[in-house]
Amino acid sequence: MIRTNNIEYSYDGAERKALDGVSLEIREGEFVAIVGHNGSGKSTLAKMLNALLLPDAGVVSVFGMDTSDEELTLDIRKKVGIVFQNPDNQIVTTVVEEDVGFGPENLGVPTQEIVERVHSALEAVGMLDYAKHAPHMLSGGQKQRIAIAGVLAIDPDVLVFDEATAMLDPLGRRAVIDIASRLNKEKGKTVVMITQYMEEVTAADRVIVMSGGKIAMTGTPEEIFRRGDELRALRLDVPVMVELREMLEKDGIIPVTDALEVEEMAEVICPLLLKN
Amino acid sequence: MLKDITLGQYVPGDSVLHRLDPRTKILLMVAYIVAVFLVKRIEVFPIIIIFTIAVTLLSRVRLSYIFKALKPMKLILPLMFLMNLFLIKTGDLLVEWWIFRIYKDGLINAVFIVLRLATLVTGTSLLTLTTTPIALTDGLEKLLTPLKIIKFPAHELAMMMTIALRFIPTLVEEADKIMKAQLARGADFESGNIIKRAKAMIPILIPLFVNSFRRADELAMAMESRCYHGGEGRTKMRVYSFKLIDLLAAIVMALLIASVILLNKYMPSIW
Amino acid sequence: MPIVVEKLTHTYMPNTDNEFVAVEDITLTINEGEFFGIIGHTGSGKSTFIQHLNGLMQPTSGSVTVDGFDMSDKKQRAKGRARVGMVFQYPDYQLFDSTVLDDVSFGPKNMGFAADEVKQRSLEAMRMVGLDPEVFAEKSPFELSGGEKRRAALAGIIAMRPKYLVLDEPMAGLDPSGRREILATINSLRDELKCTVIMVSHSMEDVAHSAERIAVMNDGKLYALGTPDEIFSKTNELISLGLDAPRTARLAQLLRERGCDVPEDIYTNERFVEWLKRRMKNA
Repeated sequence: MIRTNNIEYSYDGAERKALDGVSLEIREGEFVAIVGHNGSGKSTLAKMLNALLLPDAGVVSVFGMDTSDEELTLDIRKKVGIVFQNPDNQIVTTVVEEDVGFGPENLGVPTQEIVERVHSALEAVGMLDYAKHAPHMLSGGQKQRIAIAGVLAIDPDVLVFDEATAMLDPLGRRAVIDIASRLNKEKGKTVVMITQYMEEVTAADRVIVMSGGKIAMTGTPEEIFRRGDELRALRLDVPVMVELREMLEKDGIIPVTDALEVEEMAEVICPLLLKN
Repeated sequence: MLKDITLGQYVPGDSVLHRLDPRTKILLMVAYIVAVFLVKRIEVFPIIIIFTIAVTLLSRVRLSYIFKALKPMKLILPLMFLMNLFLIKTGDLLVEWWIFRIYKDGLINAVFIVLRLATLVTGTSLLTLTTTPIALTDGLEKLLTPLKIIKFPAHELAMMMTIALRFIPTLVEEADKIMKAQLARGADFESGNIIKRAKAMIPILIPLFVNSFRRADELAMAMESRCYHGGEGRTKMRVYSFKLIDLLAAIVMALLIASVILLNKYMPSIW
Repeated sequence: MPIVVEKLTHTYMPNTDNEFVAVEDITLTINEGEFFGIIGHTGSGKSTFIQHLNGLMQPTSGSVTVDGFDMSDKKQRAKGRARVGMVFQYPDYQLFDSTVLDDVSFGPKNMGFAADEVKQRSLEAMRMVGLDPEVFAEKSPFELSGGEKRRAALAGIIAMRPKYLVLDEPMAGLDPSGRREILATINSLRDELKCTVIMVSHSMEDVAHSAERIAVMNDGKLYALGTPDEIFSKTNELISLGLDAPRTARLAQLLRERGCDVPEDIYTNERFVEWLKRRMKNA
């Protein structure tokens, strides 16, 4: 559905390539997490997915459309929406509902349908009560939910979260993650979650680890988190529960397990304690 | 705190004035200004005053908001009054005391100018008091759209106004934070002469500019990502349509202007 | 001498329709040399609270004294403020000068030191935060990476040699390594300068590892104050406040709920492993 073929990209005046030969495929309905340290190229990659940036070399194809074909730009952006990092810098107007309507307005959707789309988009992110509010009075997490609604109103097949949780507090972060996985499971949206928080990728179908503009690792969360030392060498980390698991496995206190979350660890440890 | 500043003077409400189409209100405001300037004789002015008071009452906006709008005029009004009172020396001499002489034309002009300014400010502030900034922007865009023929960027102008309205509170808040960050590093914005104070602003202005440029960059990208491609082929979520009250309001305004013109001509002089 | 906060209340826009009590009736003492953590979700008043510690905000009622200097008094405030260094969350709000060295020098220059003293302090501060002056002194602060900017902003405060270092979300937005490195830097600064650290953070794991005492704020009030052992034994309460308890504390809590005998003072992985080993050996 989305395919990048050996793409390269350098920012003006930069010595190093931000993307250096990235090939990947994102399949329909998938929940893919892309992780990497600051400057690993993951945000640059995100902006390649709906023609905000065009590769210097290689091809990005979205539903068979080449992003470098300017005629197709709008069609590509209808298919792939991006939620960005800073909630403040993606809200355009002074009233929440009007901001959510911004995308459909740009596409020339008839007025009545815009109103319906705005309604269901706000409902999907649980912000219907705030339709008439001024965005600058909302919290960071609420603003980010408005930004998600703004993308949903365009009704894209793919939602890219470009470090959309980086500036939020734990509550806001959890809300965004919950919305993303709900959209994936219930509405069948393909989700690309770009993040630095390892705790946020445990729910993904597939994890892509980036470093120095290249793909360094790829696999399921279980596979990736087996390779904790490699992750740390790439300036990353493992979730707290995986760290605990590593420590306990190393000393042979618990059997080797794929547990990633608190509940899963409890499943493993509880029987041990109750038995003894 | 800087953050406490609220932007726009809009007072929420559901009065007749609130319900008028913003386009109607903008046009009526222009007509009102014309009406005020059409008044050539002081005897005719009461009709403007009555109209202004009636509309103010109709708007159900608390009078304190009107006074707030008049506040910046508190220096200009007396000054204009006094200048006209003493500098115009035609007509009958009314009062003479020490070096002061007040003539009839001076008195009439002085009263006239004060009434004109006060009603103008009151009348026009009713527009911003009863119309949200966004409706004003929409109204302006719609009214200016015909000018697109001469390449006037009506949509771009409206978009700029919208973004400015959206980001002013954000920037004010940011300026506040930057100021605090520099205060914490011992910056002093309060002492010294003008040059020293202006220089003290540099540590605030540079981060503010750098951040604003980055914001602009990110916002442009977010707008593009949401399929923004200029005003062409855009629809609007909110559409305005003229209703009966818009027509009635226009008729009332037409009557006002007509009566001003007629009274100017036919009202007998009371002097 | 400590920072003493007594019955501190701060009300925004008092006596108007928009009146809002951001901080209410907080009494606490921050002792010299301790690592003091402050947690609370957005809007809990923690950011308003810390701005009182160096007099950027004045109490509506109550008082804040720093080493005996009353921060409500204009003259005493300057002396108090010189002791309390404040690092804000976003370094972008602070960096402005053309080179990193000039920017770091801004604080000590404002304090009125002679040029060579300013330079010496600034270079030393850069070294302490891990910015090699040879590499970074002449660089523009706007060319730095996120983590480096954070360090430059920190150096700008360290150069003023504060006795109390207040850090607002020092790790926010950094990648995992960046977070680890900044936390390590903060701990080494504490050893080197013997300064008191007051850190506001969302990351319960970071607070659990570093802080000696923790204040939990909720709705403008001081909800709890105590050692990490005391605070993190109340995992359920933290979660009900909308805070993240450390995951290990949640695991311990979950195990207790299922009838396992996990002690209440276990909230880090290290402690958990140590306890479990002992527990299994005894069994």
